[in-house]
Amino acid sequence: MANAAAHAVEDGVEAPAKRDFLKILTVSAGAVALGATAWPFIDALNPTTAELAVSNPIIEVGGIAPNTGLRVMWLGQPIYIRKLTPQQIADNQAVVPSSLPDPADYTDRVKPGYESFVVVVGLNTGISCELLGNSPTDPRGPLDGWTCPCDGSIYDPLGRVRSGPAPKNLAIPRFTFLNATQIQLG
Amino acid sequence: MKLGISAAALLAAFLAFGSAAYAEDTLSPLHWQSQGTFGSYDQAALQRGFLVYQTACASCHSANALHYRDLTALGLTTEQVADITASIKLDNRPATLDDRLISALPKSQAAAAFGGAVPPDLSNIVAARPKGTEYIYNLLTGYQAPPADVTLMAKHYYNAAYPGNQIAMPAPLTDNAVTYADGTKATTAQEASDVAAFLTWASDPNLDARKQIGLRAVIFLIFLTLLAIATKRKIWRDVA
Amino acid sequence: MSDQTKSWLDSRLPLAACFRAQVCDKPLPANRPYLSALGTLITGTLIFLMLSGAVLSAYYVASDHGAYNSIQFIMRNVNDGWLIRSFHATGTTMLFAAVYLAIFHALITGAYRLPGELVWGLKLAFLLLMMLVGYLGYAMQDGAVSHWSLHDVTLAGAGLSSFPGNISNWVLGGPAGHGTLGHVAMMHGLLTFIALGVLVLHYYAKQAVAPVAKKTVPLHPYYTSHHFVAVSVYVLLFAVLVFFAPHLGENPLNAAPANPLLVPAVMTPPWYLLPAAAVTHALPGTEGGIVAFFAAFAVLFAMPWLDRSDPRSEPGFLYKLLVVILGLDVIALGMTAAAGPSTINAILMIIFIGWYFLHFLVLTPLVTARESK
Repeated sequence: MANAAAHAVEDGVEAPAKRDFLKILTVSAGAVALGATAWPFIDALNPTTAELAVSNPIIEVGGIAPNTGLRVMWLGQPIYIRKLTPQQIADNQAVVPSSLPDPADYTDRVKPGYESFVVVVGLNTGISCELLGNSPTDPRGPLDGWTCPCDGSIYDPLGRVRSGPAPKNLAIPRFTFLNATQIQLG
Repeated sequence: MKLGISAAALLAAFLAFGSAAYAEDTLSPLHWQSQGTFGSYDQAALQRGFLVYQTACASCHSANALHYRDLTALGLTTEQVADITASIKLDNRPATLDDRLISALPKSQAAAAFGGAVPPDLSNIVAARPKGTEYIYNLLTGYQAPPADVTLMAKHYYNAAYPGNQIAMPAPLTDNAVTYADGTKATTAQEASDVAAFLTWASDPNLDARKQIGLRAVIFLIFLTLLAIATKRKIWRDVA
Repeated sequence: MSDQTKSWLDSRLPLAACFRAQVCDKPLPANRPYLSALGTLITGTLIFLMLSGAVLSAYYVASDHGAYNSIQFIMRNVNDGWLIRSFHATGTTMLFAAVYLAIFHALITGAYRLPGELVWGLKLAFLLLMMLVGYLGYAMQDGAVSHWSLHDVTLAGAGLSSFPGNISNWVLGGPAGHGTLGHVAMMHGLLTFIALGVLVLHYYAKQAVAPVAKKTVPLHPYYTSHHFVAVSVYVLLFAVLVFFAPHLGENPLNAAPANPLLVPAVMTPPWYLLPAAAVTHALPGTEGGIVAFFAAFAVLFAMPWLDRSDPRSEPGFLYKLLVVILGLDVIALGMTAAAGPSTINAILMIIFIGWYFLHFLVLTPLVTARESK
């Protein structure tokens, strides 16, 4: 094998172009080998199959009765899914955003076509306590939304802060409606 | 030119060797298709093996490192696996794709049922025994009447393949313990062979990918080595 | 890069010129064998092991409940995790093969003799460090075998408590318990960096005593192309093992999880630790094992002075033959350790260990003194 290579070399001794070609080919092949070896090292740092399996859960929301909420844990945070009553929708659509501590329109807080569902991260934006108010029997505050048991902040049913030390509205996680009864987080 | 021809000849020889090794497999009863240098899993056997596992093993043994979603590697679609999990009860709810393959009986109860012997987890059992695939097959087909000079302990059975020959696990397989969907005759030996194939997969689920990538890598590296030799010779020709 | 930028960079940070002068144009003897690439291969493999180890450490959990499961997670759920682990395990095999070969080569060519005694000592220090690192890595797997091995070693370490300080507790976290695997993992990584430092020292020590060559060629392109051949063949072999024999030289029983209630039948370590394991079982008791292990290294370190020949002479035929027999003796010793405990094995082990010490303490001084006359 090696001899064959040597002869091949001797045949083309005087052609400098060929010499360069062989060198370039060898170096490129070496670079390909290096790149192919490097890839699994990088790929191993991508999300694992176990993470992927839990990172985009599908949540059934068809069973949520109006004026109640669902609490699911996702990536270590409580996600609150609340179904509003027509009365709550009408009340909150009437609010003028500029009058709020953190102005936000009704349409900023819900997905078009699914206006009765509010999906928020259930953590107070001031002191990070988990909020109360998913169940109608919880202390919900004057606006029928959520209250923070730690600092007394009050949120409306859309998760907009209305009073209290909390500076911002509740965060909205990434999610999409698959259909009228299922949402997918992430 | 000569270099190219020699390289091609070497590759051809390498591939021929590979396919010869592959063709040898599958015939002898103690030779599984995955065992040749380039052998891959027989998915039909793995699916039959999972059926045997689920019917005969899973009541006492777990395979904790596996999730039901991993079963798509046996050639099943996600829907088929979902059908399987829907029929498996875990704590009064059907299993989901993200559940692990746990045993129906909790470990302590299973151990109590077998006189203190804890049924081992089967995720890695084939890797954890010398010649593991053969061992599983031999163990499952190795139940015999004890020889006259052997006195068995209480709740133990005579098994020719088990170290010490006294095993706490009663013979788990019988003829027609399962009904194969593909019409294969469910003899004890067939069931043992299939479940041994399934447990081999459970221990080494990356075998197919490993060998496929490996073959390509080795061919490429042979090519690279030849190039390296040619380049080195060319550069060194003027050094006496 | 424009010429102006280039000349500016060269004037402020003359890296390229320095690299050219120190590396590319470095004169090297024109007749070095392919084995001279061993240093490159060993250094490259060590760095490869550090990189794959770094990726594994992203998922490894150093606890007596988490270690085994985290490795299963790496093998089954991390993208290409099985490949990275195979790189790491097989890289270890390749590294030990190269280091053992380098030690054997230095022995048979007499390279350990003055003025190469420090180079030789650094080689042995590297082997010693690699054995520790290799052992700690093996123990990190928390398999059915390595768990018990670590248990025994930490107990043996407790026997060293009369030493100043408390080395065994620092390295191994005390008798196997919570936290032990954390110490083991930390030391596994730390000692690797020290070993890399030893390699650097070895490189410079070797430069200092390199004989002046009659005919030289510049490193680039001559030795780059030359070593590229060695690296290609080495990587080819590496790939064959990674993809077709990923568990070469491992005890299969160690693939089962650690079970504190069940001692495995055969307590065999990976192949590269077999001779060392046999030596530690040669003398009774844990202290005896430690003494035997360090004695086996001590005679190696003493080689430059046990050899009575003129350092400039070629080693004689009989001496070389004895080194080959020593190599076979060490392999046979490893095989007795792999075969598990039995009476005949215990006797063979004593014979092979006896020959090992006989070779260094009696045969080497005698033969080298005679052959150099």
